[in-house]
Amino acid sequence: MAKPKVALYWCASCGGCEEAVVDLAEDILKVVEAVDIIFWPVAMDFKKADVEGMADGEIAVSFINGAIRTEEQGEMVKLLRRKSGLVVAFGSCAHLGGIPGLANFWNRETIFERVYKGVPTMDNPEGVLPQTRTAVAGKELTIPEFWDTVHTLDQVIPVDYYLPGCAPPPDLIMNAITAILEGKLPEKGAVLAPDKSLCDTCPLADSKPEKLSLKEVKRPYEVILDPEKCFLAQGVICLGPATRSGCGERCINACMPCRGCFGPTKGARDQGARSLSFVASLLGIEEEEKMTDEEVEKLIDQIPDPAGLFYMYSLPSSLLRRRIMK
Amino acid sequence: MAERIGVFVCKCGPNIGDRIDVDSVVAEAEGIEDVVTAKSHNLLCSEDGIRFLQEEIRKGGLTRVVIAACTPKQYEQKFMRACEGVGLNPYLLQMTNIREQCAWVTPDPAQATAKAKSLVRAATMRATLQEPIEKKEIEIHPDVLVVGSGVAGLEATLTLAQKGRKVYLLEKSPCIGGLGARFEEVYQTMECAPCMLAPELQEVLQKENIEAITYGELEGVVGSYGNFTVKIRRKARYVSEEACIGCSACFEPCPVEVSNEFDEGLSKRKAIYIPFAGALPNVPVIDEANCIKLKGGECNACQEACPFDAIDFDDQDRIEEKRVGAIILATGSTQFNPSSLAQYGYGRFDNVLTGLELERLNASNGPTGGKILLKDGREPRSVAFVYCVGRKEKGHCSGICCMYSVKLAHLLKEKIPGVEVYSFYTDLCLPKKEHQRLYEEVVEKGVEFIRSNGSERVSRDGKGLVVEYKADSTSKSLAVDMVVLAPAIEPNPDTAKLAAILDIPLDERGFFSEEHPLMKSFGTPLEGVFIAGCCQGPKDIGDAVAQGGAAAGRILSRLIPGEKLELEPIVAVIDEEICGGCNTCISICPYSAISRDEEKKVAVVDDTLCRGCGTCVAACPTGAARAKHFTNEEIFAEIREVVR
Repeated sequence: MAKPKVALYWCASCGGCEEAVVDLAEDILKVVEAVDIIFWPVAMDFKKADVEGMADGEIAVSFINGAIRTEEQGEMVKLLRRKSGLVVAFGSCAHLGGIPGLANFWNRETIFERVYKGVPTMDNPEGVLPQTRTAVAGKELTIPEFWDTVHTLDQVIPVDYYLPGCAPPPDLIMNAITAILEGKLPEKGAVLAPDKSLCDTCPLADSKPEKLSLKEVKRPYEVILDPEKCFLAQGVICLGPATRSGCGERCINACMPCRGCFGPTKGARDQGARSLSFVASLLGIEEEEKMTDEEVEKLIDQIPDPAGLFYMYSLPSSLLRRRIMK
Repeated sequence: MAERIGVFVCKCGPNIGDRIDVDSVVAEAEGIEDVVTAKSHNLLCSEDGIRFLQEEIRKGGLTRVVIAACTPKQYEQKFMRACEGVGLNPYLLQMTNIREQCAWVTPDPAQATAKAKSLVRAATMRATLQEPIEKKEIEIHPDVLVVGSGVAGLEATLTLAQKGRKVYLLEKSPCIGGLGARFEEVYQTMECAPCMLAPELQEVLQKENIEAITYGELEGVVGSYGNFTVKIRRKARYVSEEACIGCSACFEPCPVEVSNEFDEGLSKRKAIYIPFAGALPNVPVIDEANCIKLKGGECNACQEACPFDAIDFDDQDRIEEKRVGAIILATGSTQFNPSSLAQYGYGRFDNVLTGLELERLNASNGPTGGKILLKDGREPRSVAFVYCVGRKEKGHCSGICCMYSVKLAHLLKEKIPGVEVYSFYTDLCLPKKEHQRLYEEVVEKGVEFIRSNGSERVSRDGKGLVVEYKADSTSKSLAVDMVVLAPAIEPNPDTAKLAAILDIPLDERGFFSEEHPLMKSFGTPLEGVFIAGCCQGPKDIGDAVAQGGAAAGRILSRLIPGEKLELEPIVAVIDEEICGGCNTCISICPYSAISRDEEKKVAVVDDTLCRGCGTCVAACPTGAARAKHFTNEEIFAEIREVVR
């Protein structure tokens, strides 16, 4: 019997998700034994035409990482969708928009202005900006269009499952592949990670006081964090309470608070709004009634970039999706 | 299975019918998925309307009901009962307000009708998602906590206990009886206060259904009327209440002497002490701030002297929880400290006393055994009372200072033959039926009442004290041996802390706010929490006792053993499949209704305490906390239709 065909593709991402596949280490051999990788541009030499040449649904599963922000990415994922039985959004960017999704605080024009003209290291005296069509030596060159808005994968094509994380950890990847091979998949649309929030598995959970209160907010560089004590109890914002578990607590174990790459839990729609809400609930609760408006303002100002902090990985997937530029 | 939804649009006579095209709203409703019946009625809240509604529910086998009518505040309960009457869970009803929110807010029928249609769609979408909620009942706790054992607290305790109620009487100090137990004679009967109180105090200590907890503090309260859980701290006494017989063998050997706060600092006491002779219960306490041993030093004097092995240096504070149905606060008041008003010289000059200090000098269980003496041990030959000290600063007349000053003047005249007594007053307040009489008596005995303009100043010369004052627009002065100030009454320092624990309001002067100053002076806005005595405002013993009795009576008539209490049905629930145990909800619940299940590592809502405020639902970072009847899905469904 022919082995199931698997495609791996990347869009707007850093390449970390590709690394995550390599991080399977010797387990990758088991994967290769069980499946045929028919498309993996980062590692193997296949072309778009090879995919186009396949029958619809011929690919058992496509793992697609990265956010969708160009015309080319849109076209490729639509092609893969057509050819695949299952599509898995692989990693934070495909799942939620990820770090590239923070570009939704700007638009194409302001990004181009900054990147091609504004940055001090840019040498572009004529102020040339990327154009979709350019005449060169009597011929016309085209490049794909750069979109105003960064999209999650499921805003462009239907997605069957999500593998969260920046990048997804090897054990969750192996679990997902095993589940697909064995046909033991959960309900369509499921996130292939536990339903609870990170506090559930956090190694510092026992050090968390029963009553939390944020008297002041410090940023990680401003304090020497006690690696054995709940970061929130130390006044440093950790998004663990609002973030799905399953990451293996990699950041926590490295003494860094959670920044939310696993996205919201099963019960939450908007991770940023939930994060904002729980932090606001805990901020200054002990002295709340006695605080003046100025003191409240001062406390809130200790979070210099709330939108960037609370929506670090999830802006395109949020209720807000993007900033409205006028 | 698809729901069978019935939509009923009320015309409210002309109120809705004249402004909104009800027929088109009904037609709109008919077009919504799962709506099997859509009808209008002229007045749905009428008897005929209710019959019509019930008949429609029965006939149509309806599983959800939407009523578009007036504000739910008016008749939602009635419509819920109507649903319940025909076997439909009342929480499967959704009302939407097309009168106040549509018909009455625009003169334009087209706008009103369009908005009514959109609200009906929203309510119908929401109704589909609503779930039945079962009402729960618990049996009330008939026991009562009384805080403070002064005359008001005593009266309340004994009244309740007489009807067989279990009463926890919590007292902050080591002995019961409050301020009253520290007076000798009281206005205006000149009855001996300790004698008057003694039988009551004995009864409190001996009655089986009264648990008097002295040297204790209220630490926390959760729950609501009929179902409070109170947390009480029993402070370490270091003397066993069971073993000690009150022989007082331990006092003499104790090497520590500090000033005795129960004698207003006019006497000394030891680190192991009872507040005053005859204080009940007759069991000493060790003051840990001053005991050499408890401060880490070497001393066993009291332990060695105790013939009953009652001293226990390892004693520790204990926290106890009690369940009660009601709470009476009778925490009393204190005296304004006049040292902040420099003109009276209090705290700077010897022989300038407060009324309470003179009470202690006069008391047979006080520092001088009842002799009224100057600092140097002589009897005063002349005494001046200054009334209304701090009245302007505090902004209220304390109402009792005139009485006790007149009383003390009377006692001075009795005890010290020939003593000259002067009373400087601006206004006299002796309102009750017998109060004038003692005043007339002391005037007859030669107490001179001098009406001044309130500008008294006390200074000192070589011989004694001088009161400078202004009367009849002339500045005058008077030399005396002793000056007695009558300071204003202010709330006990603990009042604000207790108000915060119970979440009840204070008035602008810092006393507990009453539910109604005339009709319910002993109630608070929080059901099941009462106030009695001077913690509500300054008053005399008689008024304090009356309030204690009133609060107890109210409890006896309302909090009946065996009665059931219906719990708030719209509470929060936490989905343990999602909850990560972050403790956010526990930290912010205003009713302490959420706790942590250590085994499952999740938060759990106690639905006997939850009042459905939704604070946890908004704060929950995972979406595990959900408000019954107000789920995100229900709210989103409504919003979606309204903004469509």
